[in-house]
Amino acid sequence: MTPLSLLLVFIALTSFVAGQLLLKKAMDASNAEGFRSRKFVVPFSAGVFFLTVQFFLNLGLLQRYDLSFIYPFQGLSVIIISIAAAIVLREKLTPQLVVGAVLISVGIILVSLT
Amino acid sequence: MPMQNKPSGFGNPWFQLALSVAFVTAYELLLKLGATETAHIADARWAWTGISGLASLYVWLGIPLIILSLLTWLHVLRYIPLSIAFPLSQVVHVLVPLCSWLFLGELITSLRWCGIALVSLGLAIVAKPVARLEERL
Repeated sequence: MTPLSLLLVFIALTSFVAGQLLLKKAMDASNAEGFRSRKFVVPFSAGVFFLTVQFFLNLGLLQRYDLSFIYPFQGLSVIIISIAAAIVLREKLTPQLVVGAVLISVGIILVSLT
Repeated sequence: MPMQNKPSGFGNPWFQLALSVAFVTAYELLLKLGATETAHIADARWAWTGISGLASLYVWLGIPLIILSLLTWLHVLRYIPLSIAFPLSQVVHVLVPLCSWLFLGELITSLRWCGIALVSLGLAIVAKPVARLEERL
């Protein structure tokens, strides 16, 4: 585990979260403005770009590390996406959602640690 | 939150979320089958790209399912808040190990059973207030 691979894990996770948020933003815009509006096209393209970045970074990491090392970081994405959706997209975060997200994250980490 | 004006029937976003999760589970298993089948193809120079997997019919069956899972997921995002849809989509972390156990004969360790139980509990907690909300609508 080098500092570089830790950085790559961090970038991959950030790209995944950014990609999901941008796709959500794009699909929200598509409801109001249709599929030709810039408000859909720009976040949609950016979202696909970030998910592509994450896909290849992940592939590269998987070549060097075990799935059980990479996967727990993806488990964290549940908590991070819930919090980011509340902050960036102004979604309402209830205590139930937070508790549920934490349990799911811990569960995914346990599933992958084998 | 734009939870109103949801289409019913086939376009219902909860149904589409279930479809999306089913597609992901199915393609994960198919890709695993395909990867196992092609693992012996040892053209080491390109092995890291995983491209030799394309020699397997399972992989080709999986590819349309990947596309369908993305399309259904985008449909879900039009109607369901990300902070609800994303945690619920993680049910794949229960379904994939269970189906690998049932269909591929993979072992589930006790630690993994604990993880599956925790994810299920978390899913129930996220889903319960949503179900109540939907009933009222």
